[in-house]
Amino acid sequence: MTEKTTIKSPMPGIFYRQPDPDDPPFVEPGDTVEAGDTIGLVEVMKNFHDIEADSSGTVSEFLVENEAEVEADQAIVELE
Amino acid sequence: MDNERITPVDLPEPRYEYGADDHVFVELAEEMSFTANFKAMAITQQVAERDIDGVVENCPANASYMLRIDPEIIHPDDLIAELKEIESEIDLENYDWETRIIDVPVLFEDPWTHETLMEFRERHQDPDGTDLEYSAELNGFDGVESFIDAFVGAPHLVTMVGFVPGLPWCFQMVPRNQQLEVPKYVEPRTDTPSRAVGFGGAFSVIYPVQGAGGYQLYGRTPIEVLDTEQTLPDFRDSMVFPNPGDILNYRRIDREEYDAIREEVEAGTYEYNYENVSFSPEEFFESPAEYNEQLMEVLE
Amino acid sequence: MIEIEEGGIASTVQDLGRTGHYHIGMPPSGAMDRYAHTVANYLVGNDADAATVEMTYQGITATFRDDAVIAVTGADMSPSLNGEPIDTWATVAVDAGDELELAFATEGARAYLAVAGGIDVAEVMDSRSTYTLVGIGGHEGRGLEEGDRLSIGDAPAERRELVGTRIDNEDVPDYADEDTVRIVLGLMSHRLTDEAKETLCDSEWTVSPEADRVGYRLEGPDLEFEEREQPFGAGTDPSNVVDLGYPLGSIQVPQKPIVLMQDAVTGGGYATVGTVISADRGLLAQRQTHKTVTFESVDVDEAIDARRDQNARLEEIRADIEGEE
Repeated sequence: MTEKTTIKSPMPGIFYRQPDPDDPPFVEPGDTVEAGDTIGLVEVMKNFHDIEADSSGTVSEFLVENEAEVEADQAIVELE
Repeated sequence: MDNERITPVDLPEPRYEYGADDHVFVELAEEMSFTANFKAMAITQQVAERDIDGVVENCPANASYMLRIDPEIIHPDDLIAELKEIESEIDLENYDWETRIIDVPVLFEDPWTHETLMEFRERHQDPDGTDLEYSAELNGFDGVESFIDAFVGAPHLVTMVGFVPGLPWCFQMVPRNQQLEVPKYVEPRTDTPSRAVGFGGAFSVIYPVQGAGGYQLYGRTPIEVLDTEQTLPDFRDSMVFPNPGDILNYRRIDREEYDAIREEVEAGTYEYNYENVSFSPEEFFESPAEYNEQLMEVLE
Repeated sequence: MIEIEEGGIASTVQDLGRTGHYHIGMPPSGAMDRYAHTVANYLVGNDADAATVEMTYQGITATFRDDAVIAVTGADMSPSLNGEPIDTWATVAVDAGDELELAFATEGARAYLAVAGGIDVAEVMDSRSTYTLVGIGGHEGRGLEEGDRLSIGDAPAERRELVGTRIDNEDVPDYADEDTVRIVLGLMSHRLTDEAKETLCDSEWTVSPEADRVGYRLEGPDLEFEEREQPFGAGTDPSNVVDLGYPLGSIQVPQKPIVLMQDAVTGGGYATVGTVISADRGLLAQRQTHKTVTFESVDVDEAIDARRDQNARLEEIRADIEGEE
C-alpha cells in the first residue's frame, strides 16, 4: 500500500507548472521526484517562488491547474 | 531662434483637497505652465520658511503641491487657511531665486535605450518606427536630427522631482508654441535602462534606476542623478543631485565622449559641470531665447 | 546577534520610516502595519520607532546568538522556539542558541518580530527602514537571506521582567474579518464619472498577486473618467494628469485602482481619486492576495478621529505594559 502526501503552497499567488511559458513543465504525473526538487512556481509580489517537494515520491496528480489562483496552505500536488 | 516673449498665464482659483487625514494637496492649474510651476515653488518655499508646526513633507510639483502633515498637531483646515493667506501674498512678478545651471551630456539614439524601445514596440503607438521618429513626426519636424536640435536647443527647467528618488521632471524653457508634446506609451514598459532620457506629456525625465516607465525614450546620459553610496563628489550632501528649480542643459555627445565620462563616473571622480545663477522669471518671460543664451554662457 | 537561516519571501528591517525627503522622490518606507509594529516594540520595552523585522506571507527561521527578549505580532505565522509554539502579541524570553521559526501566514499578510534594544542596523537619512528599490536602509538595503547576521541594540536587563506579558484579546486585530477600509474621496476624483465614484465605494475589490510594499493593485470593475480635452502637458489618456505628488495611501487609477503603500512612487501622471486614511493603511497591508477589499467613504474629521483613537489605544497598551515592568 502506498502512502499519499500532498505538497502545499506556503503563500497565496498564481501557480505555474513551467519555468517559462515556452518551457516544458517541471514535472508530469508519473514522474518521480526527490526531496528538494522544484515542482512548480508561485508568483506573488512580482516574484516567483519555487515550490519544492519535501519528500521523495511519484507525482500522482496535480490538484490545481496551471496559472490558477492558490491560497496559502492549499494542496497543489499529490505524491505517492 | 525668434525672440518671442512668454505671456504669464491667468491661473484659476487653487483647488484645496484632503489626502485623507494626513495630506493636503493643492492644484494650482490643470494644465502645465511656467506660471503654475513658479507659484508652486514660491508657495512651498514660503511654507518652508514659515516652518509651520506639524508639516512633515513639503513637495512642490509641476502645477500643484502637496504637504504631508501630522493632523494631531495641525488640522488640515487650519493649514489650508494659512496656505490661502500665503497664496494671496505671493507676488510672482518680483520673485526670483538662486538656482543652478547644469550641463547634462546625452548620447541620443544610444544602443541601450534602442534595444529597450524595440523590445517593447507592441506597446507603442507606432510599432514600426522608433520613439524619436514618432516624436519628430508628431511635432511636425522633418526628421530625427531636427527634432533633437529642438530638444537640446533650449534648456529644461526641473519643475518636480519624484516618482523614484532623483528623477527630475523638466519643462523646456521656450514659449508654448515651441513646446514639444508627446503621449506616453500606450501600455507602460516593464523595463527602462538606468540614466535613460525620456519624454512624455510636455516633460523630459532622466530615469535614475532601471525599472518600469512609460515615457518615449531618446537617449542615455553617462552621468548619475542618484548615488545612494554618495561616492561621487557632488553627492556628498545628498544622494540625489537634481532639485526643483534647477536648469538642465541637455548636450548632444558622441559615443567616445559618453564612454570617457562614464569611466570617470565609475571611478568616482566625475564632477558635474554646473554654475550657480540667479533666475528671474520676469526677465525670462520677457525674452526667453536671449535670457537662456545668457544663462548658458556661464557653462562655457 | 540574530543569524538568519531562512529569510522567508520578503522580510525586511523596518521602523516608522524616513520623513522629510518625499520632495526628492524618497518614499517613507517603514512598517506597513504601524499598529502591529508598534505593539511588538512596546511589548519588549522599545520605543515605537525601534526597528523590527517585517515578514510577508512567510516568516524567517533564525538562531539567536545572545539572550534576548522578543515579541511577534501581526499576521499569524505560527511561531515556535526550538520547535515549541510560542505566544503571539506577547513578550517571550529567548536564550542564546535558541532557534526561532515562523511558518506561512494563515491570517493576515505581515508579521513583526521585535527584539528588546531594536534591530541595530545603520541609519540612512535618520531611519533604519529598508527601501529595496534603490537598495538603502535595513540590512544592506535588501530583504533578509540565509547567512545574514543582524545586531541587536543594547537593552537593560530589566526588560526580562516583561516576559509573559500579553496584550488584551480585544487589542489583537482579527485579520480574518474583512472590515471595510475607510477612504477620503477627493484629490482628482472629479475626473471620475459619478457612476465610477459609486462603483469605487460599492464594489468588492480583489487584492492582486502583485500587491506589495509599493502598491496594492486591486482587481474589479472598470472605472470610467469624464470625457474632456486633455490639458496641456497631461498626456493623451483620460486617466492622465499633469504629473503631481501622490499622497501616501492614495488610490491612483491608471486602469484598475492601485493604493500606494510605504515604498510607493511619490508622484506621477495618473489621476488619484481618494486616499486610504492613515489608521486603516495597516489593515489594508494585512489583506492577503486574492482577498477582498471594500472601501467606505468618510470625511476628513472622521479620518482624524480614527487616527486619534488608534494612537490613544496604542498609548493605553504602552502604559499597561509599562505597568507590568
